[in-house]
This record gives sequence, structure tokens and C-alpha cells, in this order.
Amino acid sequence: MSASPLTHPAVTPGGSAALRLLGPLGRLARGLAILLAVFAAWEALVVLFGIRPYYLPRPTVILAALVQTPAPYIQGFLRTLSETLIGFASGALFGIGMGLLFFRARALRELVFPLFIVSQTIPVIAFGALVVLWFGNTLFAKAAIAFYLTFFPVTVNTLLGLESVDPRQEALLRSFGASPLQLMTRLQFPTALPQIFVALRLASSLALVGAIVGEWFGDTVGLGVLLLQGMYTENVVSIWATLLVSALLGTGFYAAVAGAERVLVFWGAEQ
Amino acid sequence: MSAAPEVIAAAPRAGGCALQRGVLGIVLFVLAWEGIARGFHLPSYTLPAVSDILASIYAKRSILFTAAGFTLTEAVVGYVIGALIGVTLAVVITLVPPTRAVLLPAATAINSVPVVAYSPLILLWFGIGMPSKFVMVALAVSFTVFLSTLAGFDRVDRRSVDLLRSFGAGRLAILWRLRLPTALPLMAAGLRVSTVRAIIVAIVTEMLGAYGGLGWVIYQAVLQIDFVQVWGAIFVASAASLAFFGLVGFAERRIIFWK
Repeated sequence: MSASPLTHPAVTPGGSAALRLLGPLGRLARGLAILLAVFAAWEALVVLFGIRPYYLPRPTVILAALVQTPAPYIQGFLRTLSETLIGFASGALFGIGMGLLFFRARALRELVFPLFIVSQTIPVIAFGALVVLWFGNTLFAKAAIAFYLTFFPVTVNTLLGLESVDPRQEALLRSFGASPLQLMTRLQFPTALPQIFVALRLASSLALVGAIVGEWFGDTVGLGVLLLQGMYTENVVSIWATLLVSALLGTGFYAAVAGAERVLVFWGAEQ
Repeated sequence: MSAAPEVIAAAPRAGGCALQRGVLGIVLFVLAWEGIARGFHLPSYTLPAVSDILASIYAKRSILFTAAGFTLTEAVVGYVIGALIGVTLAVVITLVPPTRAVLLPAATAINSVPVVAYSPLILLWFGIGMPSKFVMVALAVSFTVFLSTLAGFDRVDRRSVDLLRSFGAGRLAILWRLRLPTALPLMAAGLRVSTVRAIIVAIVTEMLGAYGGLGWVIYQAVLQIDFVQVWGAIFVASAASLAFFGLVGFAERRIIFWK
């Protein structure tokens, strides 16, 4: 059966029928089981092939480092989380707003949209240098970088979703005397919502990238800072511990967005 | 039903105007930038004028173009390696279905960390020369290409597979004659998105440690507080990304002629 469905929840959140039957608890248990299997295989590989800790430390060593000195990792986690959240929320709101605006005003879209595209080819880290210069070394400078990475996919997908509305449905609602506002809240926005959530899921990981890269400009707290310190002191265990914490943050945030999607887009139009 | 003809009538008109308006938008933006920077006499660390940036690019063209060549080499080599890995993994999973249970969770686990967060580790492992950039770009590209190719292979109508199989086609024949053509549009979308990512990841990795390239130039310019040079490097990087993107998009239209 070469056409079996994707099996990992992170790839198709709530995807196949079998996974849906399992329910959220089943999915969680499945995810944990896979995680444990990956860790066990990793530990076994390192021990079997005698890989030097400089290249790949054993997961138990990494976890021990996390348990022994949890303070910097917890602080870094919270700091990076708040940067990510502020950047993501503002980017999502701005993106949806611009999508609505572009949908209404075609001339404005054709004027501004090419600029949006060009803006996305700017290397984020160079932009980061400028942003930190403009806003100082503050939490908001980092959030601004996360914002910059987030708003574009949300704008594009909001626009795509709004344009995918069936004109016949629109004509039907209009024939019953629906106002433009009613048309938007009852038909256009709900139709666009699944597309918007596709972008929001993507944006959740991009916002984290923005926050981490933003911290590389001489900050003192944050996961990005821990990564740089690990590199300068050649402390590979600390780098791996930070990578694990980043993975936890990224996966948790992604799962939260996917969970919100399942509640809000309850009719389940995934594609 | 009255809306349908309007939509059709509107489409070509918009197509003709869109390009002009797009160019107009960019021209207006550049003029506003120039006007604000000159009119308010903004210092160069806030916002240098576009004309100053372009003059600086021309004056330092040899440095910038050498750096751009360096970065493009890293991005293109890493891109090709990453694309090959991504497509190979998807083909392996499709030909040998049991591997899916191992490869997909492993790939997802690796990708649950944002790619740029790996750069300190990769720099320690592979040094600050070009190989570390190849690895980083390949890492960033391979996952995107892998997922989009796999989604493309899986999108095939099961009845078509059954039909081919009933005529005695093997897995390889089904892959070549049915799955690959069906998957090409999605694959191409993944490859197109990856171009810009490839250049950005190369530049990000260069800024943490390198012997040359646009990221290195940007880092040096930041240290010397030469913000006109930072903007110059950003302009060149943008142009390189757009060129790479355009080239892959052009190849896509040539190969997937039926779309």
C-alpha cells in the first residue's frame, strides 16, 4: 500500500480519519512514544558507534545538563516565548488586515504588493542589525523581527482565501439583501479561515526564527543568546540543550495554533 | 450567476495593469524614501538616501560582487544537495512504504528546531569555511522539498494507481509515469520557495563565522558602523535572491508546460 496517509500529527494535524478517531489524548501518546523512540535510538547510536560527545552528546547527558542548571534555560524560554508571541500576534493581525484591505482595494494591492515581495528577500539578519539600531536592544526590537517574518504569508493566504469565495454564493447572499459587512462576516471571512490558518501555522515557526536571530545582536537573555554562548565556549552539550528547549517551544507553539484551528475551523476544511 | 462574466472580464484588465502599478508602487516607494532621507537630513545610521546607497554599491562593486559570488556559490551548491536529498527521501518512502514510519518522524523531529538555530553547532562541526554553509543550506532546503514532494506523490488518485497496477505496472513504473508528473507542480512550488531561503540561510550562517560572502560583509560593516555599506549589501542580496527565484520560476514554467 504505497499510498498510505501521512502518519505524523505534526505533518497533517488532525489529518487522517484514523488519527481523528484516536482523539487528542491518543495523538499526544503517539507523539510521546515517537519522541521516546527517537531518544532511545539516538542514545543507542552514540553508545554503539562511540561517537565523541563533541559531535553528538548522549540525550541523557543533555537532559542532565538541563536538570542541573535549569535557570538560564527557563529564563531564555520565557524571554524568547514573549518575543515570539508579540511578533506573531502583531504580524498575524497586520497580515489579516492587509489581506482584507488588498481584497477591497485592488489598485492599492497592485501598488503595494510587489514591495511586500521584495521586502521578503532581505536577509532577516541584516534587517535585524538595522532594527536593533532603530529600536535599541529591547524586547520590541526582537518582536519586530518576528513580525517582519510573520506578516507576509498571512497577507498572501488571507487574500487567496478571500478570493476563493464562490461568486454564486456571494450573489445569493446579496440577493437576500446582505450588506457588505454581513457578506464579510458570514461568508467571505469564514471561507478564508482555513487558508489563513495554514499561514498561521507556518508563521508560528517563522516568528520563533525571528526571535532567535534577533537575539544574536548582543542581548543577555534568550535562547539565541544561549546558542551563541555555547558556540563561543564550544560547549556542545549546552547547544544541544538549547536546541531541545527551542524544539519544545516551537512544537508547543505550533500545536497551540493547530489546536486553535481545530476549534475555530470546526467544520474541518483542511486542504 | 451575474457575477461570473464580470470576473472573467476583470481578469485580463487586471493582468495588464498589475505590472505597471507594481512598477509604479516601487518607484513611488523609492522616491518617498529618497525624499524623506534628504528632506529631513536623516543621519545614515537611521536611513541613508537611496542615491547614496546606489553610489556606494557602484564605488565598492568589486567587493560586493565578489561577496555575492561567494554567497551564491554556497547557496546554489547547498540548494542542489538539499533538493537531491529531499527528493531522494520522498522517493525512498514511496518505493519502500515501511521506511515512512522511521523517516518521517525523524525528519519532523530534526525540523522541529528552527533551522537557523543549528548554525552554531554546524559551524563548530564543519568549521567556518564553505562546507558549513553547504550543510546549513542543504538542511533548510531538503526538508521543504521533501515534504512538498511527498505531498505531491501522495496526492495521486488511488483509482489511477489501481488502473496502472491492473495493467501490470510495478512500483517504479507507477512512480515514473503517474506519481512524478502529478507531483511536479507541488515539487516545483517547494523548490521555488526554497531559493530565497537558501540565500538567507547562507547569509545568516556567514554572519556567525565566515571568510567571505555578503553576510560577512554585512557583519564587518555593522562593526565599522558603516550603514551605507550594510544597505548596499542588503540591496545586492535582494537582487541575488530575486534572480535565483526568477531563474527557478522560469525553469518551472518550461518543464511543467501543462499547468
